[in-house]
Amino acid sequence: MKYLILYLTAFCLGTLPICAESNLELQIGSKKFTESVILSEVITQHLQSNGVKAVHKDQLGGTRLLWKALVQGELDIYPDYTGTIIYEILQGEDISSDADIKVALARYGVSMTEPLGFNNTYALGVSPSTARKFSLKKISDLSQHPELRFGFTNEFMDREDGWPSFRDHYQLPQTSVRGLDHDLAYKGLEAGSIDLIDLYSTDAEIAYYQLSVLEDDKNYFPDYRAVILYRTDLLDREPQVQTYLNQLSGIVSETEMIKMNSDVKLDGKSEPEVAQDFLNVKFNTLSEIEISTRLSRLISTTREHLFLVCISLGAAILVAIPLGIWGAKNATLGQVILSIVGIIQTIPSLALLVFMIPLLGIGGPPALVALFLYSLLPIVRNTLSGLTGIPLDIQESARVLGLPASARLRLIEIPLATRSILAGIKTSAVINVGTATLGALIGAGGYGQPILTGIRLDDTSLILEGAIPAAVLALLVQWSFDFAERTLLSPGLQTKQETSS
Amino acid sequence: MISLDHITKSFNGNEVIHDLSLEIPQGKTVVLIGPSGCGKSTLLRLMVGLLWPEKGNISIFQEHLTKNNIENLRQQVGFVLQDGGLFPHMTALQNMRLMADYLQHDPQKTEYRIHELCELTHISSDQLKRYPSELSGGQVQRVALMRALMLDPEILFLDEPLGALDPLNRVSLQEEMKTIFSQLGKTVVLVTHDMGEAASLADLIVIMKDGYLLQYDTLSNLSAQPADPFVTEFINAQRKPWQQLEDQIK
Repeated sequence: MKYLILYLTAFCLGTLPICAESNLELQIGSKKFTESVILSEVITQHLQSNGVKAVHKDQLGGTRLLWKALVQGELDIYPDYTGTIIYEILQGEDISSDADIKVALARYGVSMTEPLGFNNTYALGVSPSTARKFSLKKISDLSQHPELRFGFTNEFMDREDGWPSFRDHYQLPQTSVRGLDHDLAYKGLEAGSIDLIDLYSTDAEIAYYQLSVLEDDKNYFPDYRAVILYRTDLLDREPQVQTYLNQLSGIVSETEMIKMNSDVKLDGKSEPEVAQDFLNVKFNTLSEIEISTRLSRLISTTREHLFLVCISLGAAILVAIPLGIWGAKNATLGQVILSIVGIIQTIPSLALLVFMIPLLGIGGPPALVALFLYSLLPIVRNTLSGLTGIPLDIQESARVLGLPASARLRLIEIPLATRSILAGIKTSAVINVGTATLGALIGAGGYGQPILTGIRLDDTSLILEGAIPAAVLALLVQWSFDFAERTLLSPGLQTKQETSS
Repeated sequence: MISLDHITKSFNGNEVIHDLSLEIPQGKTVVLIGPSGCGKSTLLRLMVGLLWPEKGNISIFQEHLTKNNIENLRQQVGFVLQDGGLFPHMTALQNMRLMADYLQHDPQKTEYRIHELCELTHISSDQLKRYPSELSGGQVQRVALMRALMLDPEILFLDEPLGALDPLNRVSLQEEMKTIFSQLGKTVVLVTHDMGEAASLADLIVIMKDGYLLQYDTLSNLSAQPADPFVTEFINAQRKPWQQLEDQIK
């Protein structure tokens, strides 16, 4: 047992030093769609070229996550849209002008710049063939074709200005409505599994897929003018930042935004490059950008992933084994413990991550806690069943020798349950390696980062850049535990290949 | 040496030992015998605190068994289970040394004791390096006996020690145990359902049925003056194969 602990401690400590992080830099967030990443990159580079220390935490998640992170001070700055602010963030408040928004935001300690220029409102799009077949030009034409299948982003499905009130506004009859990821929606439309999707009017794909955008003939969609949100206390910390942010107001036209989106999504340029080009044109500055190679990305995602897995798994082992031992000694308590960790296991991982944000903010800590919680069940269950599964005569034999309970546990019971405990840890570790890819959604990095970017940019090689190492890591974990089993398990318990002489 | 005073024990409301009293004298081999379910193994487990009685007292070395002194008392007795109860993750040697090492006895003395016991039970030091899964049934029981005798206890408890062995091994180990018991002169309490084993090993025999002690005496007295018709029935039932053989020869 002591070797087991030593082995795992060494394993975990090996990855510790990489968690150091500087808090002096301004934290700039972006949502997980390309335009948001580009805008945040523009903001970040613009601040950097003016000598402000800033770091871009890219593609963190959706509006609620970014907003919470901003209010809690996890982030200092992120770009958003007036429509989103009114209908989602300040839902239910009576707002009719930008001035009203500013007043409402001030209550949260948040300020807003003047609009950046373009309006990226919602629109509805259909493929050219669908448009012809059903002769669709305006949104109100849809009411004649209840059989059309709609696929909307999850945000559009839920938000106050989204599908339900949109349906009422246009009196639409359609019932086949699915929620799906925006980047996958174009694929679904192209494949013909859905007929109509919601779009952002600056999406690069509209031109690429030659989509027909339906006219909003009953003026439903509000303005979605891009603005920059920042924490008001920034003015105390870095007063000059306000000036730099205001320099960005009114300089991004709709055409320019569509061009930048298309450069990234269709021409395969990186967001930093596109932002650099834009700033070069507008301010004649050339900020330094780090061109990351595949190898350097792989190294950093591997470090982040190992950090998440090792720390959360290590903590889970330290907690779950004692819980399992405790449960094995007391059947009622055992049932209670198993029920609790079982319930934790059923919480959807994305939901658990979001629950963690109010408590722990974004980045590593919430991901670690979520992964830790998910790792408990297999270890607790296997420790418990390993201990209670020890044959009665062996248990009696240990008691009747006169060994006290603690010594029985250490010398007899734990060694006999080692195989089962190791199997539990192995299961946890493999699940953990897979689940840790979700850490990228809340800024914890890891192999999920290239997967997320790859999905967003429809770049298979980028998806594989995360998926392959994750699979390899899972295999390595598997092997290292098989090796650990051979090393740690007494030869008396190993299944014999050859018969004894 | 061991005294049971009006012991009652139930499992789930079923009384399995009824108001039973028994004195086991020092240096004697006492065999508890009876049909399956008679309570003989339960009685043995009560004597080492693996089970606790609802009523009555048990004392060893004139000391009442309590949950506080039981671990200490257990270190002064030896116990052999039916399947040996050896720990599968330890070699035979590690099994033997476990308690001596745990109690931090002088390693030299431990070595000497191991050597002594190997001679007594005819186990080679080579066999001691093996794990229980690599030993035969007879070797396992020998090692279990050595483990029980390691700390030189005053009392040795054995729960059907030959029960899992094939007939040939059974007879030879039974003979060896008889020699060992007489050499050591310890108090031995042995549970079996085999009358032949009892006849061969016992100074005194306890015949039990349905949780009652029917008779406690020497074999010859049990035959000559049975306290209950069941005693004769039980003794004769087990003699039958031999009797039939004798009858055929005649």
